[in-house]
Parts: sequence; structure tokens; C-alpha cells
Amino acid sequence: MKMKKLVGLGLAAVMAISAAVPAMAANDPYKIVVMPKLVGIPYFTATGEGAVKAGEDLGVEVIYNGPTTADAAEQVKMLEDYITQGVDAICVAPNDAAALDPVLKKAREADIKVLDWDTEATKDLVDASVHQISDQELAEHLIDKMVEYMGTEEGDWAIITGGLSASNLNAWIQFGKDYAAEKYPKLNLVADPYPTDEKQDVALSTTKDILKAYPDVKGLFCVSTPAPIGAAQAIRELGLQDKVTVVGTCVKEDCQDVLSDGSLDLGCLWNCQDLGYLTVGVAKALLDGKELGSEIEVEGFGKFAVVNEKDVILGPPEDYVKE
Amino acid sequence: MKERIRNFTKRKEFGIILIILVLSIGLTFMSNAFLTIDNILDFLRSNSVIGIMALGMLPVLISGGIDLSVSSTIALSAVVIGNFMLKFPGSNPVLVILVAMLSGAVVGLLNGLIITKFKIPPIVATLGTMTIILGAVLLYTGGMWISGLPAWWSSFGNFRLGSFATAAGGTTGVSTQVILFVIGCVITSFILKYSLVGRGIYAVGGSESSAIRVGYNVNRITVFIYVFCGMMTGLAAAAHISIVGQVDPNTYTGYELDVISTVVLGGASTMGGVGTVFGTVLGVVLMAILKNGLILAKVPTYWQKVVMGLVILFAVSIDVINRKREQAKLVRVDVEE
Repeated sequence: MKMKKLVGLGLAAVMAISAAVPAMAANDPYKIVVMPKLVGIPYFTATGEGAVKAGEDLGVEVIYNGPTTADAAEQVKMLEDYITQGVDAICVAPNDAAALDPVLKKAREADIKVLDWDTEATKDLVDASVHQISDQELAEHLIDKMVEYMGTEEGDWAIITGGLSASNLNAWIQFGKDYAAEKYPKLNLVADPYPTDEKQDVALSTTKDILKAYPDVKGLFCVSTPAPIGAAQAIRELGLQDKVTVVGTCVKEDCQDVLSDGSLDLGCLWNCQDLGYLTVGVAKALLDGKELGSEIEVEGFGKFAVVNEKDVILGPPEDYVKE
Repeated sequence: MKERIRNFTKRKEFGIILIILVLSIGLTFMSNAFLTIDNILDFLRSNSVIGIMALGMLPVLISGGIDLSVSSTIALSAVVIGNFMLKFPGSNPVLVILVAMLSGAVVGLLNGLIITKFKIPPIVATLGTMTIILGAVLLYTGGMWISGLPAWWSSFGNFRLGSFATAAGGTTGVSTQVILFVIGCVITSFILKYSLVGRGIYAVGGSESSAIRVGYNVNRITVFIYVFCGMMTGLAAAAHISIVGQVDPNTYTGYELDVISTVVLGGASTMGGVGTVFGTVLGVVLMAILKNGLILAKVPTYWQKVVMGLVILFAVSIDVINRKREQAKLVRVDVEE
């Protein structure tokens, strides 16, 4: 008896909701899918927070979802589902640009705005491309800062990286090496980049070993977010805060401790939340019919430069130093 | 005496000892920083986490099982004690270690029960729990780091027993993590050598049906093994967090392979029945020397992995060659008689 009543109530509720759906669709908020390379890592958790916040502020429905591993095939499957469901814009950080071509074409044919963010998709297929900062700019900035904190333009330096096959890290390393060779010819890079498996404890022990092998190293250039923190801990354990400079890319919240005693001289990254926010903002602006000129305005957030017709640039990286 | 030496060269550990000696001599010539107390204590410290996990994995392999879930278990324990310390900043390291071991033991109990009650092969059961637990941990933390641990925890992690002068002029000592590893070694070898359950573990690994016939309670032994492995993994979590000072739930992926390969390198067999704590310690030391020594010797980064693979292959094949020679001898004796 009770059971029947419950079922009845449930049915009534379902009917009420389904009746309400078309009503809501009348003044429908835009549905914007924002897809990271993967979910469950701090970086993409932070960008997701920004995207969702933008959704609330700008009055659009943001769906932030992605695969649990950095898998392009999984992204294709999920995007196809969203196209079938019917959304207004798709913003994707592709794990493999070429693999996503067919599904992005399909989205365009269905009149869905297509954007990429964080990492580029195939240029012809996107309406806009949201960039944190150019790889070159970040790398050169870090080299300049390393030299600034070393206090000299000559001496030994070494590179610590997350992994030898990560393409974005390798791009930063290459730009950094080229720039250092040109601008600071007296800097001496002691060895190939040291990989640390994206692990803080490996960065710690590797840094200690590097300093044993090359006691004259004065600067450490660390890419991948756990690397500068592990390196800085090694500096702290060895008490070399004043002798060895550590700069690198890391998440603001995670580097405060090692910054406090000068073990880490400078951490640097773009604001992850802002990147997610900007992505949604640009998507909304495009859906509103705005054109990308030389800059684009996001309501309540600011104006951002547009280069190469489609590339929206978030802006300079944020530096984290001792407060 | 001669007999003793001959017996020693026949032991499974002989090959790996030989390699450690040859490598150490070579590395000492290539870098004067290698053979210093400071450096040895350093590489023991950074490898103590894998070492403690290897001690837990050893009985599992001896019993003929395998535990793939350790990488997720250590992540879970790390997140548990991270949150525990934030909630109870007034507690102490001993309590934290107990909580870590307890949380690991719960996962071990789960593994043990799934394996014995549902008769699911360990590799499948632990693969399942590995995925489930990692998923749960990432769901709970969002992959975010836990930082801002109490100050007493970092002093615990940076504690040094005794003091030795380092080459650089500072002092160093035996770190907390190395002490934990040594305690783990003592407990594990006591269990394997002198306890009834230890003999049972070898018996189960040698032949499960014989073990049952002799009267061992195989199910109970199996559950014990996985609980022990979970506890050691929890202890390893405490050791790891005491080194890095914050919890990164994503950092432990791939640990299960490092741990299993270390134990196998130390002479244990994935087929079960063989393995010793001494061998496992040698496996840990060999891996540690390789990682540390190749950097000190300034071997180019891309070559380091090649050299590492070669040495591991060589270490394992010495054992195989030894065994083949033994078998050949056995055959000859038969023919001669």
C-alpha cells in the first residue's frame, strides 16, 4: 500500500519535471561543455572550479567533465554523447588534436560553437582558442628569474623535469635552453634534463644527487608542478638556501611552505581558475554573437588580447614569491 | 670453511651481492661522493618507502600470491593520516603511524577476505581493489594536495639519530625513515623465520594442498598475509609523508611495479615458496645504488634507464644460470651412479 503511494508520488514528480523541462527551454541558458584532458588532478580541478564559477556568474549552464585518464578516444566518445544531447558550445583541451578532428567537425555541422583551451586543437575547426600564455614566454620568464635570483649571469645550472616524454614540459625546456644559450652565454648547463616521474620525493632525492655530482650548480630550473617543491626541500635539508636558486612551475597553494624560508625562490604558473573562467566567458561571448576583434571582453572579468585571429591570451603568468 | 663459502655462493642472494659489490667499486672510482656515510644514509632514506612496502609484499609473493593494490593503499593511508593530523593537530607521531597501519590493514583484510571467501585469484582481486580505492581517494580529494601538517610531524620526519660529519662539512645521521625500515625488517624476519604462521606462509607457497594436509589453516594464513602487507604499506605511507611533508594523492601510481620488481630482484619468486628478508633488503639496496649512483657518476640521463635495465636483467640471469648449473649437476650425479 505504502509502496504504491510512493510509486505514485514518484511518477507525479517525474511528470512534473518533464512538464517543466520545455518551460525551462523557453528562456534556455546556454549549455556549455568544458572538457579537460582528464579529471582528478589538482590543475584540472582548479580550472573546473573557475569554469563552474563563470557559469554561475554569467548565467550559463556549464558541464565540466572529462575522462579519468588522458585518453583522446575517451574524449571523442564523451563529446559524441554531448553532441547527441544537444549543447550550445564545446570547449575541449585535446589529448590528441588529430584524433578529435572528426568529432569536432560533427559538432560544427550541428551548429555548436567549438573552442579549445589549455592545449590546441586543429586550428580550422575552432571558433576560438583560449591560451594561458605562450610556452616561449613562460620559459624565458623562468630563465630570467633564475638568473635574477642567482645574482650572476654565469655559473652551472641544471634542469629537473616531470618526465622525458611530456610535450609541454619539453617545449618549456627547449625554449628555456635556447634562450639561456643566447642571452646568458656564460651559464653552463651541466647535463640533460633529469626526469622525476612527476613525483615530489623523486625530485628531492634527485636534487640531492645532482648537487653531489655537480657541487657548483647555482641554479635549478624545474618544470612539472611537484618538481620545484621536491627540489626546494632538498635545498632546505642541505641548508643551501643562499647558495642555490630554485625556480619552477608549481601550484600556488602547494608551494607556500617552501617559499617561506627561501628554499624555493620563485614559483610560477598561470591562474588555473582564471583559465577555466575565461574559457566559459569567451564561449558565452561567441554565443551572444560577439566577434573576436583585437581583444574580447568578458562581462565582469576584463578584456583579453586576441592574437592570430583566434587566440585569446589569458595574460602573463603569476609569480609566487615569499610574502 | 670451504664448504661454507661454497654454500654461500650457491645461495640465491649471491648473484645480487656480487653485482652490488662490483657496482659499488666502479661507482666509487667514478665519483668520490658515492662511498660516503652521508650519501649511503641519503639513498637509504629515499628508498625506505619502497623498502617498507617490499617487506609487506615479500610474504605475499612467498605464498604464491600478489598484491597490486599497494599503490592505492599507500595513497589511501596517506590521505587518511593527512586528514587525521589536520583534525587532531595535538596528537603525536606514534598515533599517526598506528592510524596509518590500521587503515592499511583494513584494505588488507578486504583483499584477504575477497581472495579466501570468493576464491578469486589474488591478481584479479587486488586489481579490483586497486582501482576502487584509487577512484575513491581521487573522488574524495579531487586530486588536491593536503598541506599545512603540524610542525611536530616535520620534526619527526627530519629527525636524525647520531651525527656523522658529511663531506660537505655538515652533519647527518640515521633518519626516521631508515629506522622505520630497520624495525620493519626485524619484525618481518621474525615472523617469517620463527613464527608458526611464517612457516605456514612458505608451506602455502610451496604447495597449497600439502600445507592443508599438514594441517595449516590456509585461509587464515592468507588473510594474515594480506593484512600484514596492508599494515606495512600504511607504515610506508607514514614514512613517505614524513619525507615530503604533504600529501599528493596522485604520486603513488606505479608503486606496485617498483615494489614487486624490487622483491623479485631480491630473489623471491612470483611462483611462490622462496624469498628472504635479507634478499629483499639487497634488492632495495641495488635499486637504490642504481638510481643514486648513475646520477653521481654523471651517466647521461637517457642512458641511465638503459644501464638500469641491463643490470636488472643481469642480476636475475645470474640466479637462473646458477640454478641451471645446479640442475645439470644433479643429472650428472644420476648418470655416474
